[in-house]
Amino acid sequence: MGCCYSSENETSSQDPDEIKPLIPHPMPDKPSNGTDWITTDVPSARTDEQALLTSILTKTAQNIIDVSAADSVMMEQHEYMDKARQYSTKLAVLSTSLPQKKPLTLPSLTSQPHQVLASDLVPYSDVQQVSKIAAYAYSAISQIKVDAKEELVVQFAIP
Amino acid sequence: MTTAALTAGLDRIPDQLGYLVISEDGVLASAGELENDEHTASVMMQMVRTASRFRLSGSPEPPFKRMSVILEDFVYAVTVSGQKVFVVKRQHNQQEPVSV
Repeated sequence: MGCCYSSENETSSQDPDEIKPLIPHPMPDKPSNGTDWITTDVPSARTDEQALLTSILTKTAQNIIDVSAADSVMMEQHEYMDKARQYSTKLAVLSTSLPQKKPLTLPSLTSQPHQVLASDLVPYSDVQQVSKIAAYAYSAISQIKVDAKEELVVQFAIP
Repeated sequence: MTTAALTAGLDRIPDQLGYLVISEDGVLASAGELENDEHTASVMMQMVRTASRFRLSGSPEPPFKRMSVILEDFVYAVTVSGQKVFVVKRQHNQQEPVSV
């Protein structure tokens, strides 16, 4: 009986299963000596040209919007009808719950329009005062700005 | 209310240069410098609609009786009564307090 870490255990630690990979190589028969990299054999000028062409192709592909791909979501006639019916039902339900927008009818400001219109015009001093107040308000509003003192987006310290 | 009844008082307004009576459907009556002035009618309609949306807190009604559009030489005085917008163009000759 040996104690812990004695030489008795050393033989068992050399179990062949331990060094064997859990997932076997997909193509164990294929030699991994680089024979599949055929392009390495061609002259370097050809490689450069290839690389250039590839980069052009990649750039072009990035700039192309494939319209035909957009049509890939095909819908049957009855699917269209179903969706249309679904949406109109939904709209009908929503429109009844919405506050009526239309009754934005003109309010009655006076019952004696002629009298109101014939009365004296607004004194010039009043107009001047209102203009001044409006100018001050405009100036004040235009000077409102955000004074950022700390980061708007912060990282939470997640342990 | 007939058109004549609508406009009867407008003719007697002092310094009046012209007027418009507008309903939701369009111009009901017009005279003077505003005769058939559909453009001014639509602009005034929009302005009074916008202005009548303002409310002071606690008041359900618009806080004004008349809207004045003041320009150098004339003033458009606008009010609403019985779903009709009344616009009167009046001479504006009180530019500055006369200094004696």
